[in-house]
Amino acid sequence: MSGETILEVRDLRVSFSLRGRRLTALRGASLDLRRGETLAVVGESGSGKSVLAKTFLGMLDRNGRVDSGSIFFDGKDLAGYSKERDWLAIRGKRIAMIFQDPMTALNPLKTVGEQIREAAALHRGLDRAASRAVVLETLDRVGIPDPELRYRQYPHEFSGGMRQRAVIAAAVACRPEILICDEPTTALDVTVQAQILDLIKSLQRELGMTVLFITHDLGVVASVAQRVAVMYSGQVIEEGTVREVFYDPRAPYTWALLASLPQLGVKGEELYSIRGTPPSLFKEVVGDAFAPRNPRALEVDFRFEPPVFPVSDTHWARTWLLDPRAPRIEAPETVRRLRARLARGTDGPETAGGGGAATGGGDSVQGGAE
Amino acid sequence: MIRTIPEVPAELFRPAAFDAEAAERTGYARYSYWRSTFRTFLKSPVSIFLLALIVVLTTASFVYPLFAHVDLGAVNLDTETWNLSPNRDHVFGTDGLGRDIWALTWYGTRTSLLLGFVIAILDVGIGMIAGALWGYVRKLDRIMTELYNVLNNIPQTVFLVLLAYIMRPGFWTIVTALCSTGWIGIARFVRNKVITIRDAEYNVASRCLGTPLRRMITRNVLPYLVSILIMEAALTIPYSIGSEVFLGFIGLGLPIDTISLGNLVNQGKNNFMLYPYQLTWPTVIMAAITVSFYIVGNRFSDASDPRNHV
Amino acid sequence: MSREVLLSVRDLRVDFPVGRKTFTAVRDVSFDVYRGETFSLVGESGSGKTTIGRAIMRIHPASAGEIRYRDRRVSGRIDAASERLLRQKIQMIFQDPMACLNERAKIDYIVSEGLYNFKLFRDEEERKEKVERALRDVGLLPEFATRFPHEFSGGQRQRIGIARALVMEPELLIADEPISALDVSIRAQVINLMNRLKREKNLTYFFIAHDLSVVRFISDRIAVIHRGRIVELAGAEDLFARPLHPYTRALLSAVPVPDPDAEAGKRPAGYDPARAHDYSRESPAWREALPGHFVLGTEGEAEEWARGA
Repeated sequence: MSGETILEVRDLRVSFSLRGRRLTALRGASLDLRRGETLAVVGESGSGKSVLAKTFLGMLDRNGRVDSGSIFFDGKDLAGYSKERDWLAIRGKRIAMIFQDPMTALNPLKTVGEQIREAAALHRGLDRAASRAVVLETLDRVGIPDPELRYRQYPHEFSGGMRQRAVIAAAVACRPEILICDEPTTALDVTVQAQILDLIKSLQRELGMTVLFITHDLGVVASVAQRVAVMYSGQVIEEGTVREVFYDPRAPYTWALLASLPQLGVKGEELYSIRGTPPSLFKEVVGDAFAPRNPRALEVDFRFEPPVFPVSDTHWARTWLLDPRAPRIEAPETVRRLRARLARGTDGPETAGGGGAATGGGDSVQGGAE
Repeated sequence: MIRTIPEVPAELFRPAAFDAEAAERTGYARYSYWRSTFRTFLKSPVSIFLLALIVVLTTASFVYPLFAHVDLGAVNLDTETWNLSPNRDHVFGTDGLGRDIWALTWYGTRTSLLLGFVIAILDVGIGMIAGALWGYVRKLDRIMTELYNVLNNIPQTVFLVLLAYIMRPGFWTIVTALCSTGWIGIARFVRNKVITIRDAEYNVASRCLGTPLRRMITRNVLPYLVSILIMEAALTIPYSIGSEVFLGFIGLGLPIDTISLGNLVNQGKNNFMLYPYQLTWPTVIMAAITVSFYIVGNRFSDASDPRNHV
Repeated sequence: MSREVLLSVRDLRVDFPVGRKTFTAVRDVSFDVYRGETFSLVGESGSGKTTIGRAIMRIHPASAGEIRYRDRRVSGRIDAASERLLRQKIQMIFQDPMACLNERAKIDYIVSEGLYNFKLFRDEEERKEKVERALRDVGLLPEFATRFPHEFSGGQRQRIGIARALVMEPELLIADEPISALDVSIRAQVINLMNRLKREKNLTYFFIAHDLSVVRFISDRIAVIHRGRIVELAGAEDLFARPLHPYTRALLSAVPVPDPDAEAGKRPAGYDPARAHDYSRESPAWREALPGHFVLGTEGEAEEWARGA
């Protein structure tokens, strides 16, 4: 799990010009992606999580630009790439991306097999027969039954879940080092989502792929990720292993996010509710962007932007609460309950099939309250 | 990772006051649909210029006949004043009957604009109501679609020629001729729009509240169509003026004693080889009006699209 | 203690014409909603859950079966008094806060719409007062009444939608996925608000959702719907503790919970109706497998599932 850093993002600032105004999407985001891991980037809409991923592929919209910061991948700074030719050596070949809507990635006029074959042939320099064999093998691997038949079908003949499998096959067939998944299951039903998540997990394990998983769903994070980066208003505000972030969160925004989840709440009690809305991306942010919505904010939060404070070797957060001068501020009730589980160790007892696992998880949260 | 702690005063490390109502107030932005529409529209100097041109031409053509004491029906037997080239007394020259073309052009413009406005109001008015019902009342769909097919498949020219023969040539004949086919095009356009918004959640919400059909149309549907209806009207005006000229051209227009741009252009055409200015001025004015309405209509429809608002 | 049945749905079927054929979106659906409870209907997209909500609101006509509200028939042809009762006492909250408000009307009109429809005010003053109270009830400021919907954020718009329902003083609120389109940080606001309103105004909720784990937090009873038929109905905790129908189990195991330890090693149980059931000899029927716990299945299945629980 503690592989070398394959992608290192430092203080990345990205802005877009929108009808004469500047919209700041990333305000100095930093992130480490390690070889062979699945890192989940969580955030609400407008937090900048999708923009962050797009910068790794040079896929920002035309009105957007990287203002400063760096993205180191294999010794090169991708933030400095401007020519389309430079990106062609990266995009799809070494870093591939799958999206929420699989239809945007598939050409409706070509058979699914041919599309994947062309991509594989291009990126891996294979001839027709070899690339065809790779595609059939990949289709089988992503759980598409009867690959020979499916190879000759068009995207509209696939169901939503199967389309997403096909898109994953297209990405995986090129053997990228990093697979970026941008909300790949948001448009799918829960039962189909579970299958796709399972597929991504097994691919990551078997092929040793590095996965960057972008989502707003903390359930999905808990399911797929080994590490988590929490984003708010254009910054990564907390990064750590999935257990550290879920069971020992430090940033007030992460607290609020977890405490507001009905899945972790106690029935009949109020949920922790976050007031207001995220700050406008058009406005300059002074201090901690979450401060105006945070009842636990310190005065310093309104004046100075918090730096990164390490919590452990694998865990850091951007909050003044970690400064030695800060007073002891109690986390919300739900978060305090979650903390009790940190000690329990990784080898949880939940292995039962069916509904047992979900039920077991839910029960113990609620049990902890009593 | 960076582990620097900037020089931050220690006294700031104390809890700040929290104002929940302030958090609520941050959520919204001031925005008004119509204000933004006009602001976007008026941003372009071309739009402002053409709109001003339309206003000036329209006002002038309606005001001029009130002040000009020119009797255009008077018989003038003084051949000296016939077919004069533009000069100090007659800036646009005179026609074959010695009438001042400057005056004729204003009278003609007035007739043509009036025709355009009447047709636009009738077309859009009928089209809007028929289209809203067509889109909203599912039972009407079959009948209206058939009617549309019938009306749409008769060549317009044949229809106009027929009507012009059946009815006596005149202002209202042209209005009837153009409106009887024009409204259904707009109705269909409105119907398609209505169908796209009919099942929108806010309409379902209104139905759940038991809102009657009349108010559904006036409050939920038409406000969404106002901008495109204004555009349709703005486009119908030049089309009607052009049609009148065309009808005049093929000899089915207004009676020869009615002064309209169509009749002027038609006369000018006959004398074009000898007295080109007789065709030039009415044509220039007509072109200015039609192009202005066309561009203003399109600019307005762009401006009314919320996606173009800042 | 016998509870009052507020809404009763019996053998409901809803058909939609698709070209020349008809598509049956919902069939043989029966359930009761008791006064004061939160009854949730959970299913995936295309399961017919939204159709049921809209059939109750008479947006989609019921092709067969009957819907009764306070023991008065409100499906099929009904008189003006029943229609009035339905439009006043049953209100709906919608999924998409961006689409459910009329963008060209001020908040004042949007919230007053139902009041205008049934003349539920004596004079202008009383109407304004009612609008103001409804806005305050959902935590918004009365000054918002003069503004247009696009000035507000998603969470605020959703609350305006709730105010529009509240102003009618309803008894039953049908909430069709009211939080699924909202950002995570806004969801808790709306859930808390709905729970508070339920207590303060003695409301009954009919909650339509796809996410079982969220529904558990708010529901008293949960019905699970699959392909237009309800397959299981039980008390919320009972359903989580003892899911009987294989589809319910599949659904429960598929929802990822925000708890890494619980997720570790979890395997989703699939559901394939063709393999899970043998209905060649006996058609499934609605049965009480355990007290207050209903399933759709054959007699043998119901017994077997109940024994396994």
